[in-house]
Amino acid sequence: MKSFAPVAIAIVVLASLQVLTSGSQYFVYLSLLVGVNVVLAVSLNVINGMTGQFSIGHAGFMAVGAFSSALMSQTLNEYRLGFLPEAVEHQLFFVISLVVGGVLAGGFGFLVGLPSLRLRGDYLAIVTLGFGEIILVVVRNTPTLGGALGLSGTPQHTSFFMVWFTVFIVVLFARRLLASPHGRNLVAIREDEVAAEAMGVDTTSYKVRSFVVSSFFAGVAGGLFSHFQSIITPGDSFSFVKSMEIVVMIVAGGLGSTTGAVVAAVVLTLLPEAMRALFITIGGDNASLAQSIDQLRKPIFGVLLVVMMLTRPQGLFGTHEIWDLLKRKKGAAS
Amino acid sequence: MSEPLLHARKVSIRFGGLKALSEFDLEIHKGDLKGLIGPNGAGKTTAFNVLTGVYLPSEGEIFVGGQKVNGRRPHQINRLGLARTFQNIRLFKQLTVLDNVRIAVLADRTPLFDRPRVEALRRGNGPSRALGSVMDALDNYRDWWRALLRTPAYLREEEGIEQRARELLEVMGLSHRVDELAKNLPYGEQRRLEISRALGTRPRVLLLDEPAAGMNTREKADLMVLIRELRSRFELGILVIEHDMKLVMGICEHLTVLDHGETISRGEPAAVRADPKVIEAYLGEAPAHG
Ligand SMILES: Nc1ncnc2c1ncn2[C@@H]1O[C@H](COP(=O)(O)OP(=O)(O)OP(=O)(O)O)[C@@H](O)[C@H]1O
Ligand SMILES: [Mg+2]
Repeated sequence: MKSFAPVAIAIVVLASLQVLTSGSQYFVYLSLLVGVNVVLAVSLNVINGMTGQFSIGHAGFMAVGAFSSALMSQTLNEYRLGFLPEAVEHQLFFVISLVVGGVLAGGFGFLVGLPSLRLRGDYLAIVTLGFGEIILVVVRNTPTLGGALGLSGTPQHTSFFMVWFTVFIVVLFARRLLASPHGRNLVAIREDEVAAEAMGVDTTSYKVRSFVVSSFFAGVAGGLFSHFQSIITPGDSFSFVKSMEIVVMIVAGGLGSTTGAVVAAVVLTLLPEAMRALFITIGGDNASLAQSIDQLRKPIFGVLLVVMMLTRPQGLFGTHEIWDLLKRKKGAAS
Repeated sequence: MSEPLLHARKVSIRFGGLKALSEFDLEIHKGDLKGLIGPNGAGKTTAFNVLTGVYLPSEGEIFVGGQKVNGRRPHQINRLGLARTFQNIRLFKQLTVLDNVRIAVLADRTPLFDRPRVEALRRGNGPSRALGSVMDALDNYRDWWRALLRTPAYLREEEGIEQRARELLEVMGLSHRVDELAKNLPYGEQRRLEISRALGTRPRVLLLDEPAAGMNTREKADLMVLIRELRSRFELGILVIEHDMKLVMGICEHLTVLDHGETISRGEPAAVRADPKVIEAYLGEAPAHG
């Protein structure tokens, strides 16, 4: 079937890349970070960009996926199926854990999406924010999830292939969703909710569903994340700061643009890393400068956002995709 | 006489102390072309909003296609065959002309479960409501898979949607604009796009809120002819709000006149025009715009 061709190509390309890059641990680590952020940004874009709602609690859904899939994985790891090679078995367990994390996050997305039936704008934002914080409080007070100290001992199953295959799936999904009647209805809600209702669009159900799908992918991203961290703590990686980071990514990329979200997520994840590398080069082994980059990250993101809003409020690509802009350039030249 | 497609009985609505519409009666049958007129602030748009479910009526009953719709949501009422346009144009501005109509053209897809049954279950309470919601959700989530996998049925459906949207745009004389963004259309064309979009939902009754506003005299006359054509072509009942008395006189077979929410006169255009109450209401305000 034609619709599966891109999937086959992606698998081949990603598998070869995995083999090619396996030599450089640093590169692989970076690519995992970048990939997870791309999944987060592209999925949040479904709520904030396509549907025009405003969620600032995406890290909360990521946390749900991260902790639940880590726990799932640790439990599964005690079992052996026997008839499969161990590596295959690990990946199978990993996929199951990811799906569990995603589904659980999707369930929370449903619960958080329900208020969006009644709330709009700022009020909905506050609900999502509150949700993100509540999740962390719950984790901190649940010994099974590691409490405040964090959860360690999660099998390190995440690979370049798994992360980027998820990236591929989420991007494909976002693109095909947008091109479908379903996606058009989401955009209609963003453009004019009253008119969308009047044209027969069940706006409430669409809004809730965009929360569900978006949270599902955030949960999967969380699962990918927890399987390459030696320990996950209910702190910075899942806090409000993380949520805002994702919001900055999609705003910078242009709300509603999937490729914009991808580009912004890649650039904004690599930027601090690049600066760290730069400072190490300048400062030599005296790496205090390099360490301070972690503190500098927040102000840098803030300044970036302000500059962006002042100079290009519609984001890098607006609601367009990268190829729309290329096409237009070409059209203008000829 | 057959049952009216749209029927309002003694419908009233209050906004705080203001009674914006009182004891409003209306019947629209297939093939009707009726007018709703009245000075500024008379309650015409409010009447549309109540009929289409944007506001809940304080009193009275509304039936669409024989079903009572008090308290139903606008999209449900639309599904029963009632579509509208807006006085202050509400297009999906950032989308193309084609997409605007495609959103309204709902797929003739085969649902997983019998729709009326699901709807009936959802209107019930307790377990039956829950069951109805689950069935509805299953049906809806199926859309994702179909979109992601691009199943042949899905692709056929998309083709059908596009074809129908293009047909409607052709009828409304917008074929040359399909790929343009709605916001870039001139005013008159935006109004016609709103009508195409409303037609996309396959209505049986069409409510037009000042469809000719902002057009020049020639455009207005053309539009009125077009509206009459739509009625026969799509076998519609149509209700038009229009500020300009002369214009509605020309095409409508029946008029309802509102003033301060009250129906002050109704009947054949000639009789309405001669009604002293109507003359007074219209003389009482500055000359109608247009
Ligand atoms: N949501 C609302 N809340 C309070 N008052 C309202 C609301 N909607 C309309 N009104 C009031 O109801 C009255 C009728 O308004 P409506 O818009 O229906 O008039 P109209 O006949 O359509 O006038 P126009 O010719 O100017 O469009 C006005 O006094 C208006 O201020
Ligand atoms: Mg009005």
